[in-house]
Amino acid sequence: MRSLNLHLKILITLLVGLGILITAYQIFILGIPLTEDETDDLWNIDARVEFQASPREPVKLQMFVPPLNQDYVSLNESFISNNYGVSINRANGNRKVTWSARRASGKQTLYYRLVLTKRYSGEQAKSEGPIFRDSIPVEGAEKIAAEALLAPIRQHSADVETFISETIKRVNNANDDNVKLLLGGDASTAKKADAIELLLSIAHVPMERVHTIRLATEIQQNPELWLRSFNGEKWLYFNPDTGQQGMPNDRLIWWIGDESLVSLEGGKQANVSFTLSNSEMNAIRLAKLTDENTDADFLEYSMYSLPLSTQKTFQIMMVIPIGVLVILILRNLGGLQTLGTFTPVLIALAFRETQLGFGIMLFTIITALGLSLRSYLEHLKLQMLPRLSVVLTFVVVLIATISLFSHKLGLERGLSVALFPMVILTMTIERLSITWEERGGGHAFKVAIGTLVAATLAHLLMSVPQLTYFVFTFPAVLMILVGFMLAMGRYRGYRLTELFRFKAFLKD
Amino acid sequence: MLGLWKTWKALEAKGIMGINRRNADYVLKYNKRSLYPIVDDKIITKERAIAAGIDVPEMYGVIETEKGIDKLREIIGDRPDFVVKPAQGAGGDGILVIADRFEDRYRTVSGKIVSHEEIEHQISSILTGLYSLGGHRDRALIEYRVTPDPIFKSISYEGVPDIRIIVLKGYPVMAMLRLPTRQSGGKANLHQGAIGVGVDLATGVTLRGTWLNSKINKHPDTTNSVDGVQLPNWDGFMKLAAGCYELCGLGYIGVDMVLDQEKGPLILELNARPGLNIQIANDCGLTHRAHAVEARLAELAKKGIIETPEERTHFAQELFGHAPKAES
Repeated sequence: MRSLNLHLKILITLLVGLGILITAYQIFILGIPLTEDETDDLWNIDARVEFQASPREPVKLQMFVPPLNQDYVSLNESFISNNYGVSINRANGNRKVTWSARRASGKQTLYYRLVLTKRYSGEQAKSEGPIFRDSIPVEGAEKIAAEALLAPIRQHSADVETFISETIKRVNNANDDNVKLLLGGDASTAKKADAIELLLSIAHVPMERVHTIRLATEIQQNPELWLRSFNGEKWLYFNPDTGQQGMPNDRLIWWIGDESLVSLEGGKQANVSFTLSNSEMNAIRLAKLTDENTDADFLEYSMYSLPLSTQKTFQIMMVIPIGVLVILILRNLGGLQTLGTFTPVLIALAFRETQLGFGIMLFTIITALGLSLRSYLEHLKLQMLPRLSVVLTFVVVLIATISLFSHKLGLERGLSVALFPMVILTMTIERLSITWEERGGGHAFKVAIGTLVAATLAHLLMSVPQLTYFVFTFPAVLMILVGFMLAMGRYRGYRLTELFRFKAFLKD
Repeated sequence: MLGLWKTWKALEAKGIMGINRRNADYVLKYNKRSLYPIVDDKIITKERAIAAGIDVPEMYGVIETEKGIDKLREIIGDRPDFVVKPAQGAGGDGILVIADRFEDRYRTVSGKIVSHEEIEHQISSILTGLYSLGGHRDRALIEYRVTPDPIFKSISYEGVPDIRIIVLKGYPVMAMLRLPTRQSGGKANLHQGAIGVGVDLATGVTLRGTWLNSKINKHPDTTNSVDGVQLPNWDGFMKLAAGCYELCGLGYIGVDMVLDQEKGPLILELNARPGLNIQIANDCGLTHRAHAVEARLAELAKKGIIETPEERTHFAQELFGHAPKAES
């Protein structure tokens, strides 16, 4: 017996552990949403390129597009252009689109559209970057100014991170004469970045320019410049204007490097404007979309890969164990008496179609009429099978009559009575009448009420949409359920009703 | 909520056994499913008992087919009284007790006159499974009618009072006298309204009773006290019950017995899932007693001893009797 208990404990631990693990994996690693109503932001980025094409000259326009190797998943990407050939190539961690045309004239407009979401990122690629660089050669007054600036920076910094932020702080001090000299009267961000790069290079600290787009609507924006440096473990991002370290979450890296966003041959006045809009999308639908657009198969082996019509059926099926659990708890812990073990679950399923109030009414009417027929048949001393057949036929006729009447009365819901499991009803009537004879009307009534209560509770629980979604999306939850059921199988405490039944012991 | 918890703790302290514990620790553990037919079918029980030399009401005959009903007269012979029973009946349903016959008619114990054809129809109903669990085809059993010992006259209403002893692995652990009432319709089933009266295992003297889950002292129909009655031939009952373990092999059973005026203690039937109300009748929980028996068994198993029914009875009486010393 003890080895059996140990066996059971191991089995339960295994099942519950596995269930929790799989569900946690789905939730935390795959990022599958917990509820059906959870939504995710969906960003729609339009980059509009305008330029004047020179007549009688082939046009070739290159523009950086986001490399999409970060936390974002592209759901849709399109290049809208008339008469242009489009090609995309990757280089140095950047992605570039090339539009080309043999002949074009006048004002040209090209569109690049990207739909992306910040979800379902795969494994983070291990970042790697340079940690040493050669100094940029510099001479004369600039050299002296740079060295004058570097001396206090060295003093006030401890490592690469503090060195860079200190440098940025110094360069942003517009009153400093050395800075004025280095910037040459141009206080633009690009110029500041140049000065910062110069200073860092003398200290052999490598630095890269990162051009980002801010994921925000209703603002006119140009790519924002950030600086980054690799400290041996990870990339550190800095804002060249403020020295702020760490890039906010709403920035999307568009390209990296010193080149400009567009390069144009055979045209002039290239101008890029960005328009961003965002929309919300149901998270689980988004997950499905992501699946289709990437090679990540988050939902490949989930119930969502079934055909839609089958999914509906399974959504109902997957919650049946929950209904069964309700019955188990009510019977073994509560001590509620029901007809048969799983009859209440089947009745609960029928309630799905009939609605609760109407379902209880129909159940009561049919059972009551069936019982009166059964008690009449009792007098005829029929054998069991013929008797059951008569009751079943009666139930069918009764259901047909109710449907007919409710239809005539305009109660369309009455038609749903046809979905009541007839055989279940027949067996319910039979069992109830046997109980009635063996244990009296009071007991039969108690059992019938118990069955209805159990069915109602099971139905209410089984029709909670969040629960349906949860079990359907995370079927491993059923393993946890089985673990609990197994534990219940060896529960030997009192049932709630027994506490009242044995009360006589305590009255002394 | 707190009150319930207190009740729970109090019941646990008293060793009251709940359904879950009975099922998990005793019925499922000690009763092999394959042995159930022995107790579910009264004919098999009887045949086994006869083979083991255990006293049962004499079996006059068995009717298995509709054709076999023709042999009814032959089976009855000219016996004035007999009982017709379904072999797998439950709750005392379908039992016909004939007390007397005159001319070509029969009179039941309750005084109703029935014809031979009506008895045949009853048997036919039994065969189709009208009274059996699950509606299976059944067999009809015709057997000796027990005449209850006059001792029960004052504390019983109609019917035959019976004695139930719970037997764990051959050790009687608790006993109860079941008295039919007007409400139970002469049947000795507690949930039908019969009275359960606890019995001292050592002496066979009745204790207080339980009726519909509450404690009582008097029979509701005869208003005579049910406690303090000395059951005759008590050791015979105990021996009979203890021997049932060898008879059926089931480790946790309720043995139902009757006391016949002439033949003494007889086994009526065995029950593989005996009810728990016997605890109320005895004002005592089953769990502690069951644990004591299990401890005894473990101890004996270590020594490699297997006790005889007499030794087991003695052990149970010593340990569980309310006044064990007074008897010996």
